[in-house]
Amino acid sequence: MKLTHGQTDALQELGNIGAAHAATTLSTMLSANVSMSVPEIKVIDISEIYKYVGDEIAALVLFQVNGEVKQGGYLLLYVAKSSVIRLTNAMLGLTDMERELDEMDESALLEVGNIMVSAFLDGTAGLLNIIMLPSPPQLVIDMPHAAIESIIASQDSIDIDEVVLFKTEMVSDAHNIQSSIFLFPNHPMLEDIIRRLEDILNPSM
Amino acid sequence: MSLMSPGNDTVIIGIGEYKVGSMPMASIGLGSCVGLVIHDRKIGSGALVHIMLPSSQGKTDRPGKYADTAIAVLIKELTSNGSSQDNLIAKIAGGSAMFKTFSGNLNIGERNVEVIRKLLKEKNIPLKGEDVGGCVGRTIFYYPKENGKLTIKRGDGTLAEL
Repeated sequence: MKLTHGQTDALQELGNIGAAHAATTLSTMLSANVSMSVPEIKVIDISEIYKYVGDEIAALVLFQVNGEVKQGGYLLLYVAKSSVIRLTNAMLGLTDMERELDEMDESALLEVGNIMVSAFLDGTAGLLNIIMLPSPPQLVIDMPHAAIESIIASQDSIDIDEVVLFKTEMVSDAHNIQSSIFLFPNHPMLEDIIRRLEDILNPSM
Repeated sequence: MSLMSPGNDTVIIGIGEYKVGSMPMASIGLGSCVGLVIHDRKIGSGALVHIMLPSSQGKTDRPGKYADTAIAVLIKELTSNGSSQDNLIAKIAGGSAMFKTFSGNLNIGERNVEVIRKLLKEKNIPLKGEDVGGCVGRTIFYYPKENGKLTIKRGDGTLAEL
């Protein structure tokens, strides 16, 4: 599968809007500035996923995307392991950086994931004029590649050879927190999104 | 970390890929996928494949992706590479269940392992070591020249060797 320049641009714009909403909520939660990168959009063969998501342990908050698009895909909040404790400390008002992660941290991660991903989908849904809802979140603290390949392998009746990776990095310099939002749209959702974006960008067609 | 980090000569085997040879090989972050090593004890070479699904259902374009076609292609390439089937042994790692509540085939890792065990038995290739299941990711390194050593780094920080 190939995306045209126009389609990549359109998806990038969509990602910008979603990520801006998510970054704003993160900024509010942390009471600090959050900067975001230009969204990266790539079609990747499954054999090369490890070049983009590796085995460095991270906290992943995962959501299935539902709503008007059935089994639309997955949204994932990725927080580097070194950032997890700084993020949850900032949220919980704690200062001990050496402590072990406990249930409070897990709740805080699920919460921040919920809020950011809901904001992301609100932002994009506003543009596309469709409602996309996140499933309840699932937290995994493990190798990101292991989580992603398990998702791809578990798709009923869809045999996937390539994925569309959609990634925006969000960084809070004040707290030294690095996180990313990944979107892995399934094909029907991707086509639906592209069609709607093209309609918006070229209303005459 | 030098022990568990891939050196420059290590070949990374991505999802659905396989390689045959005597160089070190690795697969990064196995979840429900299974890393299968078929090693020749006599000549110190072998193959690593990163299997994603149990059955090819007739597809032939990515033999390494499915357990049935992967085992067939590995045996074929190893024997044409000078291996006798009597000298082959197997090791597997992976096949975990990373998630509990999403829809879809959550037991795909378990099914991968079951099918691989069954096919190896049919081909009379002894399974000499396995580190499978649970809910952790695994990165594996296979060293054909070191008696087919397979080292495993798990997502919970523990290490293992097969």
